[in-house]
Amino acid sequence: MKRATRRDILKYGAATGLAAGLANLPGAARAEGKLKVGAVYVSPVSEIGWTKQHSLGIEAIRAEFGDDAEITVIDSIFRPQDAERVFRQLAGAGNDLIFGTSFSHGTPMQKVAPRFPKTAFEHCSGIKHLKNLGTFEAKYFEGTYVAGVAAGHVSKSAKIGFIGGFPIPDIVGPANALLRGAQSVNPDITCNVIFLNSWFDPGKEKEAAKTLIAQGCDVICSMTDTATGVQVAGENDAWSIGYASDMAPFGNGKHLTAFTLNWVPVYLQAARDTANGTWTSNERWLGLADDVIQMSPYNDDLPPEATAAAEKARAEIIAGTLHPFGGELKDQSGALRVETGQSLSDGGIRSIDWFVEGMIGKLG
Amino acid sequence: MLFKIEPRAEPSRQMSIAAPLIATGLTIVVSSLFFLSLGYNPLVTLYTFFIEPLTTMNGISEWLLKASPLILIACGLAIGFRANVWNIGAEGQLIMGAIAATGVGLFAPWQDSPLLLPSMVIAGMLAGMAWAAVPAFLKDRMNTNEILVTLMLTYVATLILSYLVHGPWRDPDGYNFPQTALLPYNGMFEVFDYSYRLNTSIFFTVVVVAITWLFTERSFLGYKMSVGGVAPAAARFAGFNASASIWIGLLASGAAAGLAGMMEAAGPLGQLSPQISPGYGFAAIIVAFVGRLNALGIVLGGLLLSLLYLGGETVQMSLGLPSSIALIFQGMLLFFLLASNFLINFRIRKLAMRTA
Repeated sequence: MKRATRRDILKYGAATGLAAGLANLPGAARAEGKLKVGAVYVSPVSEIGWTKQHSLGIEAIRAEFGDDAEITVIDSIFRPQDAERVFRQLAGAGNDLIFGTSFSHGTPMQKVAPRFPKTAFEHCSGIKHLKNLGTFEAKYFEGTYVAGVAAGHVSKSAKIGFIGGFPIPDIVGPANALLRGAQSVNPDITCNVIFLNSWFDPGKEKEAAKTLIAQGCDVICSMTDTATGVQVAGENDAWSIGYASDMAPFGNGKHLTAFTLNWVPVYLQAARDTANGTWTSNERWLGLADDVIQMSPYNDDLPPEATAAAEKARAEIIAGTLHPFGGELKDQSGALRVETGQSLSDGGIRSIDWFVEGMIGKLG
Repeated sequence: MLFKIEPRAEPSRQMSIAAPLIATGLTIVVSSLFFLSLGYNPLVTLYTFFIEPLTTMNGISEWLLKASPLILIACGLAIGFRANVWNIGAEGQLIMGAIAATGVGLFAPWQDSPLLLPSMVIAGMLAGMAWAAVPAFLKDRMNTNEILVTLMLTYVATLILSYLVHGPWRDPDGYNFPQTALLPYNGMFEVFDYSYRLNTSIFFTVVVVAITWLFTERSFLGYKMSVGGVAPAAARFAGFNASASIWIGLLASGAAAGLAGMMEAAGPLGQLSPQISPGYGFAAIIVAFVGRLNALGIVLGGLLLSLLYLGGETVQMSLGLPSSIALIFQGMLLFFLLASNFLINFRIRKLAMRTA
């Protein structure tokens, strides 16, 4: 860490003073003792999806702190060049706690955080944490495993389909776990995978979903930032699994369940700790047990044994008696990766770049 | 009452001065009504949009940092546009420039040499030129439409980038996330001040602006290309070579875009990821036209567009204005500006009423 010199203090002091002075213009008086929180979203807040779930966290802070918090939100910041500028501005404007909500915010936050050692930075889906840059991420694969158990019960063709944004570990892992869950019901099930190389491309996603259905898949799980996969599945009488938000309204009655993201506890904890002066940077990886991954209400048309089996898997994952990547675990080529009685290490899951046995498709 | 639009015999001098003023006036009036109807104070909003971003040193640094690639690319494009060579794919040439420069920066054996950065500059420019040479060749030999080819090659460049960062160039210490390792210190532009992001690469833009001005306003070759653009038949009659225009137009814009990509990679980015350009290659087309394909106009156009980006963020942060409103405002301003420019070369004449 760079030691603050007198010159730095003058410089930042002047910049902060100016920024704060200007922030006063629209009448937003900045009182001492208020918690100032900044959040950067990758897209505007819509009814569902990734950014919506983060906005619920910010709204929870607003609800709890009321007038004691001053919240600045800026959306549609995706590319690293823009992100670094925005994080600098938010930190320079005196925010005490700043949230970044996308992997692409990582490098910019790593560059900005050391310059503002008194500001708390929280990065969702980050991998590198610093003294004042904490990271938090969800165990999506726990959610897909539970949904996969339900899918295993309803799939008649023994083929399920998965649409992913990018072939990164945070998507490859959940795709694998979906199939593992389904295979726990019927070992012969296979899973076709398509990557879009985009989080938001409804046109491409529609084509992908139609392709999977044409290949015989009768359950579609889509890990992107749209409800397109759920929608297309519903239109073609296939089951669907939603991601991030409950997508039942889009599923035409065929929405099995969704694994939803509940960041509220993380946001509230960070805000409380910052307000109390007890915030420290942590690395958190949270799942079903932490209530960060939740299962949305199961479809009423599901056979009772399917719901029961999914709930059982959920309870066992929370209890720690079931591991979605427990052995024996073979990869796509049939090579043994994890022996019986063992399970894949956390590091192995966070960097997974291979498919489990039964996956159909290529990475990249 | 009937109106007729007719071309002016000569571009109107008064209009070329009045056009930006008309555009500014219209924007202020219409946007004020717009902001009022949404419940925002128009004066505060306009202040926040155009003045507030420039009230800090960091703001000015960011302003120039964002304007620099826009101006650089637009200068290159203008050379081609003047000759009716439509390179729409500067975005792809930018990406190829960034890829080649990063490739040299990461894998060249002379990692510790001070020549690393210069070799990256050359690699970036050559890659941009090579990417633009494809449509130049096809246009020259087979009369292919360069608008389509340059645009399509942008998608190819994006896919090559995606392949590299997801595959062979992926950072071995990056948890398999799609990005390359950081460029070494020798392969990065020096920043002017450790607190800000503006770096020495801006000198390239200054030089390119000067060269563009000399080429378009003072060189015979530039004159020949402009004639070819305005009156192709006359140019052919005078013996000016059309194929030279195609090659120079595309290679110049390719080199400029490749250099801009290199400057992004070795400047604010420091590495490659699947998304490296905030659409600079496309925004530069607007800059070129806002600047009326003139080097000095392009400087103003680039500064304006960059300010619009920053202002769009500032109104979100300071006033809580939704990002979509900022986008509408940006679109409105550019529309008025380009529409007023129309009056420089055309006039609207009232026709006498016919009494049938």
